[in-house]
Amino acid sequence: MTLRDCPVGMAARLVGVELDPGRVLRLRELGLALGTVVRVTHRAAFGGRVVAVGPARFAVDAGTARSLRVEVV
Amino acid sequence: MASCHDGTAEPDRAGSVATRPTRIALVGNPNVGKSTLFNALTGSRQRTVNAPGTTVQLSTGIWSAWSPAVELIDLPGTYSLLARSPDEQVTVDLLTGRSGTEPTSTGSPPDLVLLVADASAVGRSLYLLAQVAQTGSPVVMVLSMADVAAHRGVRIDVPALRAALGVPVVVVNPRTGSGLSQLVTTVEEALAAPTSATDPAGVTPGGVTPEDETERAELRFVWVESVLAATVRSAPYRLSRSDRIDRVVLNPWLGVPLFLACMWGVFTLTTRVAAPLQAHFEALVTGPLSSAARAALSWVGAAGTPVEGLLVDGLLAGVGTVLTFVPLMGIMFLVLGVLEDSGYLARAALVGDRAMRMVGLDGRAVLPLIVGFGCNVPALSATRTLPNARQRMLAGLLVPLTSCSARLTVYVLLASVFFQQRAGTVVFAMYLTSGALVVLAGLLMRRTAFRDVQREPLVLELPPYRVPAPRALFAAAWFRVRGFVRDVGTIIVGTLTVMWLLTAIPASSGHSFGRVPLAESVFGEAARTASGVFAPAGFGDWPAVAALASGFVAKEVVVGSLGQSYAAAGTPGRPESASLASRLRESFDVSSGGHGPAAALAFLVFVLAYTPCLATLAEQRRLFGWRPTVAAMGLQLALAWLLAVAAFQIGRLL
Repeated sequence: MTLRDCPVGMAARLVGVELDPGRVLRLRELGLALGTVVRVTHRAAFGGRVVAVGPARFAVDAGTARSLRVEVV
Repeated sequence: MASCHDGTAEPDRAGSVATRPTRIALVGNPNVGKSTLFNALTGSRQRTVNAPGTTVQLSTGIWSAWSPAVELIDLPGTYSLLARSPDEQVTVDLLTGRSGTEPTSTGSPPDLVLLVADASAVGRSLYLLAQVAQTGSPVVMVLSMADVAAHRGVRIDVPALRAALGVPVVVVNPRTGSGLSQLVTTVEEALAAPTSATDPAGVTPGGVTPEDETERAELRFVWVESVLAATVRSAPYRLSRSDRIDRVVLNPWLGVPLFLACMWGVFTLTTRVAAPLQAHFEALVTGPLSSAARAALSWVGAAGTPVEGLLVDGLLAGVGTVLTFVPLMGIMFLVLGVLEDSGYLARAALVGDRAMRMVGLDGRAVLPLIVGFGCNVPALSATRTLPNARQRMLAGLLVPLTSCSARLTVYVLLASVFFQQRAGTVVFAMYLTSGALVVLAGLLMRRTAFRDVQREPLVLELPPYRVPAPRALFAAAWFRVRGFVRDVGTIIVGTLTVMWLLTAIPASSGHSFGRVPLAESVFGEAARTASGVFAPAGFGDWPAVAALASGFVAKEVVVGSLGQSYAAAGTPGRPESASLASRLRESFDVSSGGHGPAAALAFLVFVLAYTPCLATLAEQRRLFGWRPTVAAMGLQLALAWLLAVAAFQIGRLL
């Protein structure tokens, strides 16, 4: 399942990022490493998502949310 | 984790201190309060400079807690020293002392790095700290946002963190000023006995330094996890107050209307609220200040001389124009500050993201492009919220195509004269054309000069909602307005003085300097010469071209200038008192061979597309440098001419 399809409030583990290596590294530098437990806290307009990573919240656009694969914990 | 430099390691540093002031760099992730700390430490003793060869602006200031004072540089925020944007590259170059991007003195690394870390997300800052350690610069870690961290249930064991890192760690709240005196003491000690952190990726347990950046990053991530495990406790996941606010603000149905309402608010503040203040400043200059200047000049016997014209109609008018922008820019900078500090700007970026992707930008460009419909000048300043220099330039080149409210005065006049009942439709069509031009120009630029601007994924940290601190807010706005007046003011005053000179110098004999009718001046003559260029667009007569030339200074003066130059030109067989409307109709009919409305439409399209005003150019120059500004001006003139010719040629067939 992608982050875009992940239900709000459900804890999920980041298992894949379908982006180029440079962007994968930047996500990791931001705190979105593979294996991190994330939670969608909000669904915004036009497919945007807000994810909780620990105490931090990230806004993710629709396209990027589709390229992040997650598994329910 | 730390290496202390003893006295014997100091000669180089001491040597460099003798030739330049001690330099401290502020480094940190975006939105950790770095600039607020910078403002709190330097006060008004600061200036903004472009990193040489780039359009990336840096603030440098004097931290006068010591004598001699220390130079403080606020570097662009970054998550990593593996740069992914021109802004981040500036930070890397400055930290490594690489020549070419040195804004101040010699090309050596800073004497000390203040690594500002968000206490609620220390992990990211630890990663950056490890990278800074690789540069060898001594480091002091400044923990900001401790209040936010506490609110989010994050507890940091500061002594344990200090021990784990081996560098000083100070907790500071730059918004209230708490911890600043402790910071001064710590920095003093750190300068006397510099301590740098050790890069965990420097040497692997096997004793080999990995060549590959990804491997090094991996080692740093492992190290960050181990430090976090020993020093930071986070509360389990729970919905925060900000999450509850976001339920409304980011709601798929409510988010967009709220966003539009907020943008409408910004638009109103920068237009309707600023307008009376602008008028007040203008009245001050054209009224009491001009009278006082004229009185003073007549006292020294210069009344009615060209000197009076130069000083009052040239220089003082220029100063007046700059002053009218002061309330507008002040309001814009305050609004930007409120949106940024409250945390809403990041949410607005998420809501506006989809629309902005059409022109190859992300959601953060939405604010400048909306503000542009009010006034292009503050809109250009609003591009500074974009984190990437190339994106800022792309947005900054699109802003002039947004139809500002000054252009509306021209639309209304010509549309009501030539299209009577359909005037409203024509004005509306101008705004639609403006929107279409922004999208088309954005697509075109993305495929040509801006091919390097990639569609970056939007992964934007949402700061918690906070009430902005008024003191920090006003201080930041004041510093920015001051910078604007200083940098843009000289260009505006200079150009307006030159414009005045052109209207004062007679083109033929029979008139003396400063006492020449507009039509007989160099300005009038130039407009007459240039008018041939506009014949294919149907408005090739000199008063229309002279009005466009004045419109280069400001669109507000186009209407006045049309009145002035048509009055000066006179119309054969018409009484002097003929209304501007009838003069306009007659003149456009003659110059277009009987297709007045088509020529008027072409004129409007030209007004929409060419250089908005001198202040826009000056602000573009300040942000992006001369070359892109002049190139964009040339392209816009060409585009405006082509569109005007197309509008006329198609219009006269209808």
